[in-house]
Amino acid sequence: MTRDKTSPTFFVLLVILVLMSTGPIMLMLVTSLRLNVDIMSETSSLLFLPTLRNYETVLCNVLWYTPEHLSRCDKTFGRALGNSLVVSITATALTLVIGCMAAYALVRFRFFGRDVVSFSTLILRMIPPAVLLVPVFGIWTYQFGLDGTLSGVVLVYVAMNLPFVIWILQSFIRQVPLQLEEAARIDGAGPFAIFFLVVLPLIRPGLAAAAIFTFRIAWNEFLLGNALTDRSTRTVPVTIVNRLTEYDIDWGVIMATGMLLAVPPIIFTLLASRQIITGMTAGAVKG
Amino acid sequence: MPKITLDGVTKRYGTLEVVPPLDLHLEDGEFTVLVGPSGCGKSTTLRMLAGLESISGGEIYFDGRPVSRLEPRDRDIAMVFQDYALYPHMNIARNMSFALRLAKVPAAEIETRVQRVAQMLNIGHLLQRKPAELSGGQRQRVAMGRALVRDASTFLFDEPLSNLDAKLRGKMRTELAEMRGQLRKNMVYVTHDQVEAMTLGDRIVVMNEGRIQQQGTPEELFKKPANLFVAGFMGSPTMNFIPADLQDVGGAVHAVCEGLRVPVPAAIAAAAKGREIIIGVRPSSIHVQREGGVPLKVRVVVAEYLGAQTVLATRLQDGTEVLAELPSGRRFSAGEDLTLQVAPEEVLLFDRGTGERL
Repeated sequence: MTRDKTSPTFFVLLVILVLMSTGPIMLMLVTSLRLNVDIMSETSSLLFLPTLRNYETVLCNVLWYTPEHLSRCDKTFGRALGNSLVVSITATALTLVIGCMAAYALVRFRFFGRDVVSFSTLILRMIPPAVLLVPVFGIWTYQFGLDGTLSGVVLVYVAMNLPFVIWILQSFIRQVPLQLEEAARIDGAGPFAIFFLVVLPLIRPGLAAAAIFTFRIAWNEFLLGNALTDRSTRTVPVTIVNRLTEYDIDWGVIMATGMLLAVPPIIFTLLASRQIITGMTAGAVKG
Repeated sequence: MPKITLDGVTKRYGTLEVVPPLDLHLEDGEFTVLVGPSGCGKSTTLRMLAGLESISGGEIYFDGRPVSRLEPRDRDIAMVFQDYALYPHMNIARNMSFALRLAKVPAAEIETRVQRVAQMLNIGHLLQRKPAELSGGQRQRVAMGRALVRDASTFLFDEPLSNLDAKLRGKMRTELAEMRGQLRKNMVYVTHDQVEAMTLGDRIVVMNEGRIQQQGTPEELFKKPANLFVAGFMGSPTMNFIPADLQDVGGAVHAVCEGLRVPVPAAIAAAAKGREIIIGVRPSSIHVQREGGVPLKVRVVVAEYLGAQTVLATRLQDGTEVLAELPSGRRFSAGEDLTLQVAPEEVLLFDRGTGERL
């Protein structure tokens, strides 16, 4: 079949697919560029005068000028964005550091109960976060006193993502030829030198995939974030929901927040996915 | 350079004994080749020497110092792996200098040493490339280079040439032999290829099923193999084994089989008395015409023309196969009946029961 004979159905399906995936985002973008009056009015149409006011409202405390339409600057979003970044980046970093070492130990070291540990990490992943909510809230609040702190949220995100990260990284570590580690041992490398100088550089794609995964979960998580944070430690998803009040729902501002919420993971994914290169171990051993 | 001694070294996996107690003594500055078929324990022995494999019993001594509990890095060894095992994320220069960098050798010295070895191995132009950009032969050189840069006292080679094509293997073999002469270090070389063993080794250790069958110089192994296994393993084409009987005619003992009758020296005859025997004849000991030769009646099955030599696959009348390596002076055709000559002094006798040479 040649290219120019492709059936028109193919293109129709393609267009539908594109619309389905980009539609909600486009709608969000359009709404974020309109004022609430415009959004709520009976006569609203696709033709409107776009405005950046909603974005100004959201970002009022980080802008270099004071938006004139605001009587009072609500600093919630700026603070929530900061919290989200701290939580997600810390959780991702911790998960990767602990995860790669745990995965390495599970793959390469022989110890009692290895298979049980390896399997139970995956089982743990099957527990839905909602089940964890009440016990975690209780333990964090009454035993650890971690309620309302960022470290409490980071801790629970690390615990939640670690099993999956260990599981992903295990398969990457298994692909590193054992002979490379033996060669390094002969060359005089100790266990840590082998891990950091030989194994870690070779599982970079795995680390990147795990990082994207962890970052996105930590960034988007709402349920536990909502339960464990207070006014000053709320993350962005929690903040957005808190904008929905019974007196006033400013859709424009919510959508603007949503658009801004989507930016960091996109940047992070673009950066991290550059590390996902195939054939890392090419040339190591005769294949 | 240490003398290496293996004293009753054993390797077990669970209840499976891969290497039964093994005694071996490697002299200072010697090139020792461990040779044997797959699974004979030669690689395991090498890995135990390297410290990559723990030993289940016995002890390894370097100059009388027990080393079996030492990590590989504390044994002053360098090793070349069968699959090269180059670090794919480092360029060649960094691959070669990895050990030196770990040992915190000054950068300037690393540079000179890497350059010197790269010159010697002809890989100077590859130093900035990654292993994936190299051909098999080049990778092999780099793997050698990585070991040589170390300047260790003992070099271990684990079938380093087995992944190369035949032509390249021959070339690398020659280079290795040349290098061996220059370096004069302890070298232990594992291979399943008896040609490599013969051409490279000062001393060859033939192993089978974890046991040392025989050790000695290439010539000793070729001319005086200890048993049927060594006789069959060393030399190409392989030695012919023909079951035979001893006949004593008026004090002159002969080993007799279908189509061949070889006189047996008195000493051997005394040892062989009352045993069932096998005659071992190397294909190169069979000639078209030879003074003092004993006749061998065969029928040609296949003639393999190899240029200067022709290898004849023939049968005795009772169907026993016999290979003969003859100069390609005349053409042989299948089905032809021939009377060849065997050099009687080159014929070996083995005990059929134990496989030992008489």
